[in-house]
Amino acid sequence: MESQVSRKPFKPLPYLLILPTAVFVAVFTVWPVLLSVYQSFFRQRMNIAKFREPSWIGLGNYIDLFQDPYFIKVIGNTLKYIVGTVPISIILGFLFALLVNRKVKGVGFFRLAFFHPMVLPMVSAATIWMFLFTPDYGLFNTAMRFLGYSGPENWTGNPGLALLSVIIVAIWKNSGYYMIFYLAGLQNLPGDVFEAAALDGANGWQVLWKITFPLLRRTTLFISTVAFIDAFRTIDHIYVLTAGGPSRGSTVLLFELWSQRFEYQDIGVSAAITVIFVVVLLAFTITNFLISERKEA
Amino acid sequence: MSAPKRILFVMLILLLGLLSACSPAAPAETPAEEAAPVEEEAAPAEEAAPAEEEAAPAEEEEPAMEPVTIQVFYPVAVDAPIAAILQGYIDDFQAEYPYITVEPVFSGGYADVQTAIQTTIDGGGEPPALAVMLATAIYDLINADYIVPMDSYIAEMEGGDAYVADFLPAFLANSYYDDQLWSIPFQRSAVVMYYNADMFADAGLEPPTDWQTWAEAAQALTVTEGDVTNWGLHFSSDWPYWLFQPLAIGAGQNILEDDCTVTFDDPAVIEAVQFYIDLSEKYGAMPAGVQASWATDTSDLASGATAMIAHSSGSLSGLLEQSDFELGVMPYPGKEAGTTASVPGGGNFYMMKDVTPEKQAAAWKFIEFITRPEYVADFSINTGYIANRSSAYDTDAMQAYVADVPQALMTRDALQSAGAELATQNLGQVRGILHDYLQRAINGEMGAEEAMQAAQAEAEAALADYCE
Repeated sequence: MESQVSRKPFKPLPYLLILPTAVFVAVFTVWPVLLSVYQSFFRQRMNIAKFREPSWIGLGNYIDLFQDPYFIKVIGNTLKYIVGTVPISIILGFLFALLVNRKVKGVGFFRLAFFHPMVLPMVSAATIWMFLFTPDYGLFNTAMRFLGYSGPENWTGNPGLALLSVIIVAIWKNSGYYMIFYLAGLQNLPGDVFEAAALDGANGWQVLWKITFPLLRRTTLFISTVAFIDAFRTIDHIYVLTAGGPSRGSTVLLFELWSQRFEYQDIGVSAAITVIFVVVLLAFTITNFLISERKEA
Repeated sequence: MSAPKRILFVMLILLLGLLSACSPAAPAETPAEEAAPVEEEAAPAEEAAPAEEEAAPAEEEEPAMEPVTIQVFYPVAVDAPIAAILQGYIDDFQAEYPYITVEPVFSGGYADVQTAIQTTIDGGGEPPALAVMLATAIYDLINADYIVPMDSYIAEMEGGDAYVADFLPAFLANSYYDDQLWSIPFQRSAVVMYYNADMFADAGLEPPTDWQTWAEAAQALTVTEGDVTNWGLHFSSDWPYWLFQPLAIGAGQNILEDDCTVTFDDPAVIEAVQFYIDLSEKYGAMPAGVQASWATDTSDLASGATAMIAHSSGSLSGLLEQSDFELGVMPYPGKEAGTTASVPGGGNFYMMKDVTPEKQAAAWKFIEFITRPEYVADFSINTGYIANRSSAYDTDAMQAYVADVPQALMTRDALQSAGAELATQNLGQVRGILHDYLQRAINGEMGAEEAMQAAQAEAEAALADYCE
């Protein structure tokens, strides 16, 4: 029945269709975050009778955390880990995409070779790398020695190298994933721009930096968001390779959160770390989003 | 379709979707498909409590029992077909007790089982009746009010005292708190040193009898070919407390006195740390720094890349299979000649608190059944865990096995010189502190004495709230 009134009649169908997703997001994302914010203002530890019931301490958990030298070290490790994995894996992804974006025989094999680490479950990949990192006869060390490396080989036990070893595994795992996005982006670039550049006599380097990369700006933005968030989220390999050590040298924020909740049974502190986590990621995502929106305008 | 019909159709789909998303509490996700329907029946049975409660008071003498289903969360921590073995025992048990159904739920490693239990209980779900968790988790579990003591069941059973006395004392030591018995030993092991007896014989060396001969033997058996060194000793230290404890015990002082007193800065303990460092620094007998080699040590020994390793008795079966030389097994040599040291480890059965009395009674029957000497012997033979009851060693199966594999008795005998495993209040934090400073000392970032004194100070601070 058509209405003659100029206002559109309310159609419930779209809202009903997104209702399931909204419910899931509310129950599994929004509610736990709100609960964590709430729990972070209390002292509650499950492995001691007198702290089993929550007691209000306001910002006490946050103050304790930021005054704890271990937590500061964990933040430092996390920053080093982010700086180590995100830019390098994005650059590698871009390079791989450039390499495999051509119609030569066997390019499918190389695409598979670059992408397959992503398919492996992280724990399996980390277990394989644990054997690769074995001093003396591990394949990684053998290959490094072949290339002239003669430094320390105790990758997972050396305090200076432990963080580097988990960074290496993370880069290895994720570069192929970012390659796929860049590949899709490259293949969607308009051909006429490159024809015009060729006519104007631009060399390969200029084409790459003045045309290709700027045109892939949106892809890069998307990948950097995904990479940044992923670097925070993935700790399975740390658990397998170094157990956060030695001496917490490779403990990052999420690993510390897990320790606080399941090893120290500290619900208040782990909730506080959760809130810090969410705030950091939310700040990054919103900033990224705003910047991209402004550029579009 | 007209608009109202369309809306109705969509609402129906949404309703179905929401209903399918609402599954029962966590335990339902983990069991196998065929177990799920049984779990669904058990859960409503909880709500329809009256049916079971009415039968309960009369259960003392009544042979006709209400069917009851219990879950057992268990980890797999060694290279053995635990799941298949357990299922075999469960089948035997269910044949003898037809009214009890046991659902084994594999839950990962020890930490994962504990995490699963915690999240289930904290989320308001019903925990399994039984779980196999680390023997050292006892204080955390008691403080969190997850478990019940078992004294009442021992008192009720015939020959209860003899039953308890039959367990090897080194294993039972971790089950007591406040004069109550909180757990029953199940899959227990000990720290031992495995060595390649053939390599020793070829080099004209005797198995070590004290620290001095141990270090010298390791030094003599270290061979360098080109840029690859076959070390005399591999001694994993990326999760160091367990393998380190027998060094401290061998020096004269364990790293703890009781659940509230740690002795990290005792001179004997510091000596033990220094000995570990000296093995690489002074004797050049093992790799320097923290060795993250637990996973590769057994294959290194089997392949001849090393002559001695410190490892779990649980690796015995695997090593025997892989080695084509005579495998020696012994506890660590102590510091003084003629002394040895070891430390127990592994998991016990715990009974959860928030479970109906009927399920707890059924769970106790299962514990009783699976700790019968013949099953204890069978489990030990098939997995490499140490049989935790004396009477198990008298069974025919065990006698035959030990005649074939004398090393199995050596692992048990290592327990004679065992001290208590590190089990304190606030264990996660205390252990983390020990690991932190031990690894700093091993990596040369701090001196042994400085590190252990700092560890002691921090551990005491961590224990303060728990032990006043």
